Amino acid sequence: MIRFQPASIPWLLAHELRLTWRGFVSGRKSRGPVSMIALAVLVVMALIAGVSIALAVHGRQIPIVPLSIAIGDFVLAVILTLMLSTGLAAAADVLYERGDLDLLFSSPIAPRKVLFVRALGVAVNAATWFVIPALLLVGPSIVHGHPGWAGLFGVLAAASLAATGLGLLLAMALFSLIGPRRTRTVAQVLAALIGAAFFLATQFRNLLGKQASESLFAHIARAAADGRFKPPPHADLPLRAALGQPIPLLILLAIGVGIFLVAVRALGRRFADAAAATQGAEHHKAARRPARAFAAGAFRATVRKELRLIGRDAALISQVLLRVLYMVPLALVLARAGTHQQAWTLAGPAAAVAFLAGQVAGSLAWLTLSAEDAPDLLAVSPTPMATLRRAKLFAALTPVAALLAIPIGVLAWYHPLAALWTAIGAGLTAWSAGLINVWHQKPGRRADFRRRRSGSVLANLAEIGIAFLFAAATALAVAGWLVWAVIPLIVAGALMMALRRTDEQIAAALRAAARSSN
Amino acid sequence: MTEALIVRGLNKTFAKPAVMDLDLTVRAGELYALLGPNGAGKTTTLRMVAGLTRPDKGEVEIFGVDARKDPAGAKALLAWAPDEAMIYDKLTPMEYLEFVAGLWNIEPRAAKARAEALLEQLGLTAEAGRWCEGFSRGMKQKVALAGALIHEPKLLILDEPLTGLDAAAARLVKDMLRARVDAGGTVILTTHILEVAERMADRIGIIAGGRLLAEGSLEDLRGMAGQASGRTLEDVFLQLTAEGHA
Repeated sequence: MIRFQPASIPWLLAHELRLTWRGFVSGRKSRGPVSMIALAVLVVMALIAGVSIALAVHGRQIPIVPLSIAIGDFVLAVILTLMLSTGLAAAADVLYERGDLDLLFSSPIAPRKVLFVRALGVAVNAATWFVIPALLLVGPSIVHGHPGWAGLFGVLAAASLAATGLGLLLAMALFSLIGPRRTRTVAQVLAALIGAAFFLATQFRNLLGKQASESLFAHIARAAADGRFKPPPHADLPLRAALGQPIPLLILLAIGVGIFLVAVRALGRRFADAAAATQGAEHHKAARRPARAFAAGAFRATVRKELRLIGRDAALISQVLLRVLYMVPLALVLARAGTHQQAWTLAGPAAAVAFLAGQVAGSLAWLTLSAEDAPDLLAVSPTPMATLRRAKLFAALTPVAALLAIPIGVLAWYHPLAALWTAIGAGLTAWSAGLINVWHQKPGRRADFRRRRSGSVLANLAEIGIAFLFAAATALAVAGWLVWAVIPLIVAGALMMALRRTDEQIAAALRAAARSSN
Repeated sequence: MTEALIVRGLNKTFAKPAVMDLDLTVRAGELYALLGPNGAGKTTTLRMVAGLTRPDKGEVEIFGVDARKDPAGAKALLAWAPDEAMIYDKLTPMEYLEFVAGLWNIEPRAAKARAEALLEQLGLTAEAGRWCEGFSRGMKQKVALAGALIHEPKLLILDEPLTGLDAAAARLVKDMLRARVDAGGTVILTTHILEVAERMADRIGIIAGGRLLAEGSLEDLRGMAGQASGRTLEDVFLQLTAEGHA
C-alpha cells in the first residue's frame, strides 16, 4: 500500500515503480522456473565474483593516474551511451504509450508533475540495470574496507538523470523537427544508432583501415601506460566521484540533476500538448499512388503481407539496423583480410557474419510466425497451415538474404571460395533459426518483440547453440579445415532433429498455449 | 431448399460444459439469428462451425461438406467475422483485402475489382490507402466485413456484427446482409440487439446453457412461449430463457 500524500510526486512515483515492478515480476513468472533459477545462479555467481574482488583489493587503493582515469572515463562513456540509448527510446514511449496517461491528464494533477514522475521512472529504470550488477560486484568491497566506493552509485544516478534528460530533449527536438508521426520511428532508430555508437567508435581505426588489430581503447591504454597520454582537465572527475571524493561526486550529481531538471522544466508546458498530438499521429497518411495488382495465391499474398508488416515495424527496424551496424566493421575486416588472400584470417569475421544472420533470422521468424495479429483469420481460411508457415519463413529469410549481400558481396570480390562457405554457413544458420521458430512457436503480440525470448528456454538456448555450431563450422570451412567443419555440422544436425516437431505436434502445442493463455 | 449448415450432437466442455448435444439446421438462403444470454454457448458453437475450436463430439456439415473430414473444403465455403475485427493495424484496407483474397485463392484481378467495390459500398474508399491502426472500432468492423465478403462466401457467420457501429453504419451493414440473403446467400449471426433479430431474421434460434431451447420464426417462438401475437421478441426471449434456466 502506498502511504504518500495522494497526487504528490512520491505517490505518483511509487505508483509508477509498482507498475514497473509488477511488469518485471509477471514477465519473470511467464518465463517459468528455469528462468528464475537462471537468474538466481547469475546473482550468486556475480556475488561470488564481488566477494573475490573485495578480498583481492582489501587494503589497496586505486591510484589516480592517467591509465585509471582513462579506464574510468571509458566505462562512464559506455554506460552513458547505453543509458542515452535506453533513455531516448523510453522518452519516445513516454509520449506515445497511452497506458494511464489519459487517466492522469483527465485528473487535476498538473501535466508537468506527470512528466516529472514519468521521466524519473525512466531514469530509475535506466539506472537499475547498472545498479544491480554494481551492487553485487562492488557491494562486498564497499562493506569490506572501501566505503568510499559507494560513490559509484552516485555516478550511476547522475548518469541516468543526465541520459534521461538528454533523451527527453532529443525526443522533443525530433517532435518539433519532424512531427509526431515520424518521431517514434526515428527515435527508436536513433536509439539503436547511439547504442551501437560506442562499438563503432571502438572500431574506428578498423573502419579507417589503420592497424586492424588495435582498438581505440587499447591504443589509449597503451599510450597511458607509456606515459604519452595526458588526460584533459577534469577528466578525472568520474573516477574521483566513483571512489567517493565528495566534491567531484557533488559536481557530477549537480550536472545530472541539472540536465534532468532543465529538460523536464523546458518540456513541462508542452508535454500535455505533445502527448495529445501523438494520439493517432502515427497513423499513416493515405497513399496517393495507385494500388498494385493483387498477389496471386496464398503463398505470395502471405509473403507480401509479412514483408509489409516487417517494413512498418519501427522497433524491429531499429533492432535489425543495430545488427547491420555490427556487420559494417565485419565487412571491412573481411575486405582487408581478403586483400591479403589469407583465408584463415577471415574465419572469425565469417563466423560472426553467420551468427548474426541467425540472430536476425530468429527475430524476423518470431515476428512472422509467432506474432500473428489475426491467427483466427488464418485458421478459418482454406489454406493449409503448412503453406502459410512456408510463406512466413520465406518472408522472414528474405531480408536476411538482402543483409548478407553486404559482407558476402565484399568477400566474393576478393576471395570467392571463402564467400561461398560464408554464404552457406550464414544461410544454414538463418534457415535453422527460422525452422526452430516454426517448430517452437510461442504466440505473442508484436508489441512484445523485445520480450520475444520469454518463450521456451530450451528452444532459445538451442537456437543460440545451433547458430554457434554453424558459425564454428563456417569458420573452420573458411580456414580450410573442411574435415573438422563436419563435426559441428553433425552436432547441429542432431540438435535440429531433436527439436523437430511435426505439423500435428505444432498444432497441439499451439492449442495448449491458447488454453493456458485463456 | 438445401441445408447450408447441419450441426448434429455438438459438444464442447472447457472448465464446464459450454455446448451440449446441440442440433442445428440452417437452410440455404436464409438469415438465421442465434440468440442467447451471455455465456450461453453462441460463440463457442459458431467457432466450432468455423473450424476454430475442435468439438469434443458431434458433426458439422456445410453445404454437404463434412467439416471434420474435409476442413479446407468446408472453410472454402464460409466466412467468419467475430466481434473483434481480425485485421492488421499496419496494413491498409486494400492490402488487407489483398491478403484475405489470397488466402481464399481468388483470382487477383477479380479480387481487386471486388475489393474496390466493397470499399466503395462500405464508404471506405477514401481510407483505402491508410493504415488501419487509426481507425475507429466501427471502421475496423467494416474492413473486417469487407474481408469476409471478398471471397463471396456461401455461408457468412457473424458474431455481434453491429458492435461499435454508429446508426448509419449499422443500417448499411444490415442492408448489405439483407441484400446478400436476397441474392441467395446464407447468413448466421449472433446479436444482443433483439430488435435486429426480430426485423431481419428469417428464423431465430435461442440457446442457453449450451442447449438449443427453441427455434423457428418469431411467430413460431411466440407460439412456443404461449404468448399472443404482438408481443416482442424480447418478451419471448426472456420467457424462454427463464424457463430454460428453471
